[in-house]
Amino acid sequence: MSTLLEIDDLRVDFSRDGRVTSRALRGISLAVEAGEAVGVVGETGCGKTLTGLSVLRMLPDNASVSGRICFEGQDLLELSARELRTIRGRRISMVFQSPGTSFNPVFTVGYQIGLVAERHLGVGRKEGQRLVAETLHAVGLPNPESVMRFYPHELSGGMLQRAMIAMAIICRPSLLIADEPTTALDVTIAQQILRLLRRLQREQGFGVFFISHDLDLVSDFCDRIAVLYAGRVVELGATAELLRRPRHPYTRALLEALPGRAQPGAPLPTVPGTVPSDLDEAPGCSFAPRCPLVVERCLQERPVLAEIGSGHAAACHRWDAL
Amino acid sequence: MLHFLRRRLLASLLTLFGITTITFALARVVPSDPAVVYIGPLARPAEIARVTKELGLDRPLYEQYVSYLGNLFQGDWGTSLATKQPVLGGIAARLPATLELILLAMTLAVAVGIPLGVFAAYRKGHLPDAGARVGSVVGISMPVFWLGLLLQVLFAEWLQLLPAIGRLSLETEVLDPITKITGFYLIDSLVTGDWAGFRDAASHLVLPTITLAAYPAALITRMTRAAMLDVLGQDYVRTARTFGLSERLVLWRLALRNAMPTTLTVSGLSLAYLVTGSFFVEIVFNWPGIGQYSTSALLNLDYPAIMGITLLGATVFLVINLAVDLLQAKLDPRVRLQ
Amino acid sequence: MSVSLDSPEQLPEAYRSTGMRSRALRTLRRDPGALLGASVITFLVVIALAAPIVAPYPAQGRGEADVPARDLAPSWEHLFGTDHLGRDVLSRVIFGGRPALGVAFAVVILAVLIGVPLGMVAGYRGGWLDEALMRFTDLFLAFPPLLLAMVISATLGASLFHAGLALAISWWPWYARLARTVTQSLKHEPFIDAARVFGVREPVILARHVLRNATTPILVQATIDAGTVILAVGALAFLGLAAQPPTADWGLMVAEGRTTVVTEWWISTFPGLAIFAAVLGFNLLGDALRDVLDPKTGTR
Repeated sequence: MSTLLEIDDLRVDFSRDGRVTSRALRGISLAVEAGEAVGVVGETGCGKTLTGLSVLRMLPDNASVSGRICFEGQDLLELSARELRTIRGRRISMVFQSPGTSFNPVFTVGYQIGLVAERHLGVGRKEGQRLVAETLHAVGLPNPESVMRFYPHELSGGMLQRAMIAMAIICRPSLLIADEPTTALDVTIAQQILRLLRRLQREQGFGVFFISHDLDLVSDFCDRIAVLYAGRVVELGATAELLRRPRHPYTRALLEALPGRAQPGAPLPTVPGTVPSDLDEAPGCSFAPRCPLVVERCLQERPVLAEIGSGHAAACHRWDAL
Repeated sequence: MLHFLRRRLLASLLTLFGITTITFALARVVPSDPAVVYIGPLARPAEIARVTKELGLDRPLYEQYVSYLGNLFQGDWGTSLATKQPVLGGIAARLPATLELILLAMTLAVAVGIPLGVFAAYRKGHLPDAGARVGSVVGISMPVFWLGLLLQVLFAEWLQLLPAIGRLSLETEVLDPITKITGFYLIDSLVTGDWAGFRDAASHLVLPTITLAAYPAALITRMTRAAMLDVLGQDYVRTARTFGLSERLVLWRLALRNAMPTTLTVSGLSLAYLVTGSFFVEIVFNWPGIGQYSTSALLNLDYPAIMGITLLGATVFLVINLAVDLLQAKLDPRVRLQ
Repeated sequence: MSVSLDSPEQLPEAYRSTGMRSRALRTLRRDPGALLGASVITFLVVIALAAPIVAPYPAQGRGEADVPARDLAPSWEHLFGTDHLGRDVLSRVIFGGRPALGVAFAVVILAVLIGVPLGMVAGYRGGWLDEALMRFTDLFLAFPPLLLAMVISATLGASLFHAGLALAISWWPWYARLARTVTQSLKHEPFIDAARVFGVREPVILARHVLRNATTPILVQATIDAGTVILAVGALAFLGLAAQPPTADWGLMVAEGRTTVVTEWWISTFPGLAIFAAVLGFNLLGDALRDVLDPKTGTR
């Protein structure tokens, strides 16, 4: 199996008027194999969405990026704007959190999806519309021909998300970046969408970069999980292994905080303290101020993400104490 | 949709009725005597009495109004006190000249304003944006009659590039006039293959058109820019880029469509402004259109002519508003016709 | 860490006041357009008020002719030249600021005083009162811009006063509509409901709560309208439907110089320039106010 996507020491800074205002990503390294689903979890602000956007180079002008993002052997950070446009929507696609605002309100759904197919696959209007109908059917929408003629505001959240997925897969990409695709949906609809994504992944064989703050969700869907904290990957490993034996205090805290694991009658466990600011330059581990296993070394020396078992990596000095 | 049109038509008729009433009331509350206007300043009492009876001015006001309305429906818009000619005919004869000017100016304003506004929004913070913003705020601050005079002095006198007044040069008018088919000289000359006439008419149209188009162009630029800035910040624009669609496609087809409602509204208002704005341009450039007819009607208190102009202006305005509303509904699927 | 409180600038950024007034002043200081606009308006107002003192030939500013000195090109004696009756154009432009600015302020204030209360009441009460107001304003708004004012001014007898009156009559419906729209959007805000629950009577609700929130868009509109009114009055005067000779009025002066604009260009150019400057000033100021007061489009 070849590595589909390899992110190596990705760093993203934001600046204004010449000064750096935020060091959002501080050396992200992770990989997605062909056909594999990798979950990227963390709390709000940890940089997971930003990582996804960086892969597609959809960053604002005031962002500066360094590192390598290798997709099918090519470093995406070296490509020109024109080359990137051939990749976006065609070989790497993205599904967004709120389909309601992601579709253009004044064009029909069919038109918008068809546009993507026409531009990337070089097909004409009629062929494009046929493909759209076909894809809408594949994502489980009934009556594709009439759904196509609807405007976004005329469709429900669930249907729109399916349409968004259709737009993402119509060109048969090799990688799908899903940014909290179910967060804005009802629980039952969310489950349907996840099942749909899993089915499509099996049928078409694309890799998935699944961004979420919900560890439960991700553990259901993904083969491997990367846990992000304050702009860095703190743990990376196969789902089952990670859940059974987490090797980073933060991962363990996240697991313990899951509602499903709560003990009846006892208060829900939380992690005391707050995430450090994105300009923080403390020398040691960024989780140290909140860590129950903290020792002197944690405050002086930043732990690096290191392999601790087959395919399992953790950035913690005390990983073997867990 | 038909239901909407029916209701709008009814409302429009009521409004027109209201406007006619107001104008009639205003015109007849006049300190001047229409009979005197009719005869001229050297009127003698006996003549005044005779004319007053002749024109029906001695009848009660409401009777005059009712008969005026009645005549309106039959196509008789009254007779101008100054020219002694039918008002409708007088307006109709001068209408093409004004219309040609207004339509050209509107086209120019839209053709310049929309792209400029889009480009300024796209390049916000850079030179094109600053230029567009400065240019447009200057454009909406200039008095149209002053601009016309400036352009006349600059291009007609100092640079001697373009003609200063009139629709055609004297030579063309006298020696080789354009055959009148529609009254639109550009069309008429093209249709009859009269190239010299076309060039003459076109050169005379340049300065007045630019003068008249300046304000609307500036306004459209400003509004389009504002609307586009809003649109460009929306999620769906980012989504379109994420799917690899070209900037040109994203900007000019996908984004602009969302800014169109604002642009359309502003364009409609501009067109309405052009109706009265053209008065001033026609005065400055000696353009033989409705502007001159209206201005003398106003100054002379020629009330049938004033009523005719007002009726025409209000009708045009109502039609424009209706067209704008219909187009809005077509452009934005979320809008429901009420 | 102690903080010196000698002046607001010394406070750390986080503690700076974010109230509307301080934000407004900060923006006005930084934005070149706002600065320019405010300066121009202030300059014109001061000059207009001090006209008799500032104008080099105040009598001519008021209308006194000096025919032997007619049609003189700009020179050191007459910076803007003289017109067809020998009057100093600079002085007349200075005096012309009085009718222009005076009418602008008067019309806007009048239109606001009439339109805003009507609009607020209609927007708040709704029902037949609202319908009636809508139909009534529709009638006014159905006239093409300026046409109604032209007709009114012509029929009442062309004069500056009648022109101003005509414009005020044409303008108040816009403010009624604006006030109505704003009131309608505020009507359902929780704080209005709270006031009602506490037994605050309607006029007080309108005057205190609604008005305070409605001030912003109305103020922005009024500032820009001041400029638009100057344009309108200039246009009416140009047609002869406003101020009459020998009054020094910008629009009138442009008209007076129109026929000889190629030979005596200064007679029309400078008054027109004055109109342009005044309108530009109000537009720039209005734009800056909008940027500051509208939280959506505000910067910084």
